[in-house]
Amino acid sequence: MGAKKYEGKKLSKHSVGQFLISALPFFALVVLFIVFCVVVQAKGYRLDRYLEIVFDEGVVLAVVATGAIFIYTLGTFDISLGASTLFSATMGVMVYNATENFLLMILVIFASGIMCSLFNSVLASVFHIPAFVTTVAMMSVLSAIAGQIITTNGGALGGISIPSAIVKPLDVPSVKIILLAVFFLLCLFVFNYTKVGRRQKFIGGNPLCATLTGIKYNKYAIIAFVMAGLGVGLGALLTLIYTPSVTTTTASSIGMNIFIAIVFGGMPISGGARSRIYAALVGGFSYMLLNDVLELVIDSSAAYGLTQVISAVFFLAVVYITGMNYRTKMLPR
Amino acid sequence: MSTSKRIIGTLAIPVIAIVIMEILCLGHGQHIIANSKSFDNFVVYTAIVMITTIALSINLNSGRFDFSLGSMAALSAVIGAKITYALLQGGTGSAPLMLLLTVLAGIILGLISGGLYVILRIPPIITSLGVALIYEGILYTITSGKYVMAEVQNASLSKFVGTWVYAAIVIVVVLAFVIIVFDHTRFGFEYNALRNGQKVAVNTGIEEVGNAVICYAICGGLMGLVGFFNAARNTNINGGLLNFGSIAIMFTAFLPMFIGSYIGRFCNEKIGFLLAAITMSALNSTFAVFSNEVTASVQSIINAVLLVAFLIYLNNEKLLVKILSPKNK
Repeated sequence: MGAKKYEGKKLSKHSVGQFLISALPFFALVVLFIVFCVVVQAKGYRLDRYLEIVFDEGVVLAVVATGAIFIYTLGTFDISLGASTLFSATMGVMVYNATENFLLMILVIFASGIMCSLFNSVLASVFHIPAFVTTVAMMSVLSAIAGQIITTNGGALGGISIPSAIVKPLDVPSVKIILLAVFFLLCLFVFNYTKVGRRQKFIGGNPLCATLTGIKYNKYAIIAFVMAGLGVGLGALLTLIYTPSVTTTTASSIGMNIFIAIVFGGMPISGGARSRIYAALVGGFSYMLLNDVLELVIDSSAAYGLTQVISAVFFLAVVYITGMNYRTKMLPR
Repeated sequence: MSTSKRIIGTLAIPVIAIVIMEILCLGHGQHIIANSKSFDNFVVYTAIVMITTIALSINLNSGRFDFSLGSMAALSAVIGAKITYALLQGGTGSAPLMLLLTVLAGIILGLISGGLYVILRIPPIITSLGVALIYEGILYTITSGKYVMAEVQNASLSKFVGTWVYAAIVIVVVLAFVIIVFDHTRFGFEYNALRNGQKVAVNTGIEEVGNAVICYAICGGLMGLVGFFNAARNTNINGGLLNFGSIAIMFTAFLPMFIGSYIGRFCNEKIGFLLAAITMSALNSTFAVFSNEVTASVQSIINAVLLVAFLIYLNNEKLLVKILSPKNK
């Protein structure tokens, strides 16, 4: 009886610990949000304007990273998503400038995003190339093609653009919130309430076991890449809404920031059952808030460098704490 | 495997590739290596590619993806250049001193990176992301985001990369070092055991933590060398590499790594990396011959297409052999 009670206590202690750790990303987001508001107020800046800036910065990352969660859940990753976003936005601008058809532009942006992603998945699934290598190659190809188009048509610095009047009506928080919410709810539904999400988690957790139970890896890999492609398309559209011009550096850091956003949001990079669809949303905005807080606080010529160092230390600390329950005897790989 | 098969397997890719490139260059009225200056560049570039490839492969072969290699190269080069300049003001002996200091700085940076990995026990890919950001941040803070130029523009450094001799010596020393350390020492045997069966190796008592930290230190030292060569060759170091701007250096080593690993089936893998680096250097020289027609963007695309094509072959080799075998015809 006593032993049972002890076991029960131990279990409840463990689940409380688990709960606290899984709530940590949300807690960090709330704390960072409060700190951000306090810092902006203390500096005497307009809070509404700064919040809008953070939202505009974070929403593209959050959208692209939320789509990417499907790929990461499978236990693989895609670092070409930033380049895909650049490529999709470039295609969109080129098509608009050729046709002056806004709807066609949107269609081309989404089609480009999905095609880039599908091409990756075909290389990985059909030709059995490790996904991370195909995405490295695709990153080079897409950046190079987009760079060539941009420099040929508008110059590397100035870039190419669409008339700002076209996207101005959409450059309001309400539209962006609606777009983000619709995409997030779609991903949430697919990830949590269909067999697609469940099977992707199964594959990510144990690919061999998943294959032995009859789950077709290729099918779920293709779905994952299509979802990521949708995120890329929406990310490219939001990028154009925010700044109607595209340069060679547009979205250049997104591919790597996705890693940070996902991990910051409390999801393991190895995917599997512990994957969470909200991780990118929470982590993406947390990362942006942290960067902006540090840039506001550290007001010197070296601010960018110090900001990055502190962000990275914070990032490692969060990962260390959230992974505390999953330490193994061997070093992780 | 017979000796003749080994020799053919080892030399096939570099020889065929160089012959094709030479024919292309001849069609353009030039050679891959047109004069002694381009030979110097060829050897220096070979050294850079080979060392980067070896550094990348050491951890990647063990399942440890390291995004921090580029940041280690840049930061160690800045540390080495700044200290050397403070001591010698760009005078005689700057090159050997900077080489030594840069490699030392690289080893320390590698030790820190490896130390973080084994202490935090979080996946190496995540540790390397954090470390890359930290090193880039430090680099930016030290340089205020500007190019480091005065410290690396002197006669001593120009002389070092102005001739093929020093680069060739470095290639030989690095190759000898990695072959001895990884193939003929207890550390190397344990590294190979951990690489091929981590669980079994750890259960048999191999000390994984120490082995991993030493691997990171070696990678750091090698990337220090790369940083030194890049600084001397470009006569500047970009201090504004923020937000993973440094990782591109790692991606250039993917194709030679896979080619080297393939050649490694017929000879020592490290020799394979050297031959792959020679092939890549020849490709780079060919691009230089066609510099008017082939832009930097097109070069990136060609490199990426070659990588994908080679991997398609590598990962579907048995299937391709089956399809192309006479029985199926």
